[in-house]
Amino acid sequence: MGRVMAEDAFEAVVGAHHAEIRRYLLRITARGSDADDLSQETFLRAFRAYRALPPGSNVRAWLFTIATNLGRNHFRAQGRRRRAYAAAAMEMRPDAPDRTDGHVMVEEARDRLERAVGELPGKQRLAFIMRKMHELEYAEIGASLSCSEESARAHVFQALRKVRRSLDGHLPLEMESRS
Amino acid sequence: MSPQHPLCRAIEPDLLSVAAGEAETAAAGRVEAHVATCGLCREELANYRALEGMMDTLRRAPLRDDDATLARAQLASRLSDLRSRLVGFGIFPSPLGRILIGRSEQGVALVQYLPADGALSAHVRRLLGEDAVEDLTATEGLRAELVDYLEGRRARLDWPLDLRRMRSDFQRRVLEATAALPYGAVTSYAGIAARIGAPSAVRPVAQALRWNPLPIVIPCHRVIGGSGALTGYAGRRVELKQRLLAVEGVKTVAARNDFKVDREAMYTMVTGDREYCVPTCGSLLSKPLSELTLFGTRDRAEAAGFAPCTSCRPDLHPLPA
Repeated sequence: MGRVMAEDAFEAVVGAHHAEIRRYLLRITARGSDADDLSQETFLRAFRAYRALPPGSNVRAWLFTIATNLGRNHFRAQGRRRRAYAAAAMEMRPDAPDRTDGHVMVEEARDRLERAVGELPGKQRLAFIMRKMHELEYAEIGASLSCSEESARAHVFQALRKVRRSLDGHLPLEMESRS
Repeated sequence: MSPQHPLCRAIEPDLLSVAAGEAETAAAGRVEAHVATCGLCREELANYRALEGMMDTLRRAPLRDDDATLARAQLASRLSDLRSRLVGFGIFPSPLGRILIGRSEQGVALVQYLPADGALSAHVRRLLGEDAVEDLTATEGLRAELVDYLEGRRARLDWPLDLRRMRSDFQRRVLEATAALPYGAVTSYAGIAARIGAPSAVRPVAQALRWNPLPIVIPCHRVIGGSGALTGYAGRRVELKQRLLAVEGVKTVAARNDFKVDREAMYTMVTGDREYCVPTCGSLLSKPLSELTLFGTRDRAEAAGFAPCTSCRPDLHPLPA
């Protein structure tokens, strides 16, 4: 009856991670329908492989790896990334300015930030989103992208530099650090 | 930061780490010392901190289309479908050789005779499905019951069946009619064709039984040729059919590369009647097998709910054992 237990445990995995994995896929595909499809596919694959996963594995990082591979195949196969971003640049404008943590981000700067992330080359963009939006460890990002922890860190840093350059002149500098 | 200056270039990775709040103490110290003297890098550190702040905000900001309800519901339904199809199987030795039993959440999905050794054939793997896993726990109870059956200690396998591996609705009807044949009874392929209301479909019936995914459980071994010859089973392993019938009390005689049921040694009834006879009753021997159901023993006929004929009285004048 080990199988029944494994299946119950998988329900818990879906409950704990589905929303975040879909959010990650939404960030990398910029389309709700793609995020729907790929998140389902991620968990169907995970279900098939789950019983072979060694106990004590980092399930969240493992799911990010599956989602990342599916996302990359998706772009590779469809060659649609560029088009997705052309559409996304129009679609992804926030409905309302964000006021969650007390300071209003200038909409234009935020737009630029999203666009800059969208224009990053594949691995840098995925590494950047995993690190900055989902706070994965570099080792986990490396596992997702089949590269070393150091390469993962390098991807994120390269991405940071590029994003920072494309925001030149639009960063809200803190006055005290200027002194 | 001056891009030209090697010191500024060297400190950049540390500076990014400090801005992200992930720098080790030594790196933080290096950055602190550097920005104390380099105004450009001090400004750049502030820029990166601001950028981190923007990303922090972005991370916590609501996302457009961030509604997982639909995807979650579709996932639940696909997972449940996948689960119900997922086959766990076991491979066991049995009196009839190596046998595979596969079961899904719905019921027993597959029984297959395997060669004495070697890997699973492509045909069996296709029937199992790509997600099948070996699961001895889930099939052990079935194995024990099957062995009891093959050794004559059990006359029924009351297993829930998963019939989704049927090739067609026709095959399903054929197998359902076959499943209704009582323990210890035989009829002909034409008899099954008649039972499903397709009397001319004798060959299609034989084909449908040939691809029976659940031999033994759906007793296709109880269906024989119109002449009484067993005609075929599990590829060329007609001897398995003979053994299965022998366990159920059906006697056969060896014929050329085959075995034959001797109608004169079988209790006989017209399919649909409630009474069984000796074969010489009325003109039963001249009737085609397709209209008849034969039993090897009276016990089997009576266990199936039939009464002795009041004319020929097989209860008083049984066939020689």
